[in-house]
Amino acid sequence: MNVSNAGSLPGGQEVRAERDLYHSGLKVLGVIVRYGVLIFFALVCLVPLFWVVSTSLKTTREISFSPFGLPAEYRWSTYVQAWTVGRFGKYFMNSVIVTLPIVSFTLALCSLAGYGLARLHFRGVNFIFYLFLIGLMVPFQSVMIPLFYLLKEIGFLGTYWAMIVPSIALGLPFGIFFMRAFFAGLPQELGDAAEIDGCSEWGVFWRVMAPLAGPALSTLTVLSFMGAWNSFLLPLIYMQKENLRPLVLGLMFFRDAYTQNIPLTMAGATIVMAPIIVVYLLFQRSFIQGLTAGALK
Amino acid sequence: MSAPTAPLTPSLTPAFSARARRKAVAGWFFVLPALLLYLFFVIYPFVTSVYYSLTDWDGAQPIKRFVGLGNYQKLLGDNLMWEALWHNVIWVIIGTISPIVIGLLLGVLLWTGTRGRIVFRIVYFIPVVLAEVVVAIILNWIYHPIFGALNEILRSVGLDSLARGWLGDPATALPALLVTAIWGYYGFCFVIIMAGLQNVDIDLVEAATIDGANGWQRFIYIIVPQLSHVLTMITAFTLIGGFNVFGIVFVMTQGGPGTATQVIATYTYRRAFQMSELGYGAALSMVMTIVSLIASYIFIRLRERQE
Repeated sequence: MNVSNAGSLPGGQEVRAERDLYHSGLKVLGVIVRYGVLIFFALVCLVPLFWVVSTSLKTTREISFSPFGLPAEYRWSTYVQAWTVGRFGKYFMNSVIVTLPIVSFTLALCSLAGYGLARLHFRGVNFIFYLFLIGLMVPFQSVMIPLFYLLKEIGFLGTYWAMIVPSIALGLPFGIFFMRAFFAGLPQELGDAAEIDGCSEWGVFWRVMAPLAGPALSTLTVLSFMGAWNSFLLPLIYMQKENLRPLVLGLMFFRDAYTQNIPLTMAGATIVMAPIIVVYLLFQRSFIQGLTAGALK
Repeated sequence: MSAPTAPLTPSLTPAFSARARRKAVAGWFFVLPALLLYLFFVIYPFVTSVYYSLTDWDGAQPIKRFVGLGNYQKLLGDNLMWEALWHNVIWVIIGTISPIVIGLLLGVLLWTGTRGRIVFRIVYFIPVVLAEVVVAIILNWIYHPIFGALNEILRSVGLDSLARGWLGDPATALPALLVTAIWGYYGFCFVIIMAGLQNVDIDLVEAATIDGANGWQRFIYIIVPQLSHVLTMITAFTLIGGFNVFGIVFVMTQGGPGTATQVIATYTYRRAFQMSELGYGAALSMVMTIVSLIASYIFIRLRERQE
């Protein structure tokens, strides 16, 4: 993007040298501006996070007289307090308890149905596919009210199932859409050969097709994991009992209860965001791929 | 980037009919578990939602009184609903354009062989993996009226008069929320635009350079047209998200001060769950559904056209 047409001047050695100098000057300026902009936006991402962590280690008094400085003394005790008062251990376990089944059932059900819709043709296959496609278009809000009473009626409300089952069901449309596209892209001969060798339909799926689905499944894992882990409105409505709250919801109520105690609130926020950032940094490629699949695939 | 779509109608030849039948039976078994779950927990509640929207149920009465289109009539005269919808429109316009512009800028700057591309990509994407509640709490702290970073910075450069309670002032609350949403989202746009840039024909850009096009001209006339499909994708994606926005608003302002940041999702939540007007809440949720359906329909059509 660096600017390069300086207009052509009539010939002559000196003019050309001058022009070269002018050009290289522009080039250096271009590089500085370019990195300046790139680094500015990187800082926009990072500085707030550092500021949250640094605030969490200060005293309430210190915040007022040295808002930007590093903490004079690292008060880790705030974390101990947040962990015990905020019950983040309990909420963390809750998040794990609901996320594991959501991710595994989403993977299993979506691969099965995606495979069935892509490669096993039966009457009504189009209709079912379009039925799932509708689910891709309706927002959660359009089912949230009756779903509450449905979950109450079947006794799921007040249990982990109230989050697990609806999350799986609501994740099906995209997962199936995605897996169907993946299986449809595999060569037809692959299944035929296995069938000639005497494989059943299940055998073709389980022994031949599913092992090839690794990349697609890892994308879907990230998407469904992040969806479940960061989910907010759904547990806000269906997981109202304190001892069922997942991490994110727990953090919100914690913040509401300790609005005045800024370091404590920031410690809570750090406890919630740190693990996800670490996991993201470890698997950044799959994370980026997974989370952008919705817009790219 | 996009996987080929399976043919929807199979061609059956008599010789394969036994095999076809076996496949058909197997097909149902593969699809059935997902289908049952989906019918029971998505389709059935959706249909019920339409029904609720035609009643004045409050969640407690055993009988749901049928009021026909009463709720929808009420909706048309509900100024708060229009205000909330208007906030959504602002949200969608600014919340779509700004992250795309930032994403384009960063994408183009990194595209032409800048070093550290991977590191920048990792950093820009960090806010995207954070939960809305976390993003909201972080920005809440930055907007804090007394100790928040924003006011501290303004005071330190002598702009004391600009310092204010950003979320408490009706004039700045909605923009402040939008900045929050954009902070959590531009990395997402950037990554998608980067992916799109991989497919831009570099020869064309070079040819334009030789023909004397400057950087801005190359950007507008050569690069952006080749990115058009990626840009429409993000636009549609952001559009749907913008009409459903809930978490950031709910955590940061609860729709306030007054009704200054009420959006359709928080308003629906309020009427349905805090004021126990289930019927009216359901009607409001139908407004969101219709808007989402229109946006998604456009999205899918665009996607089909590209295949």
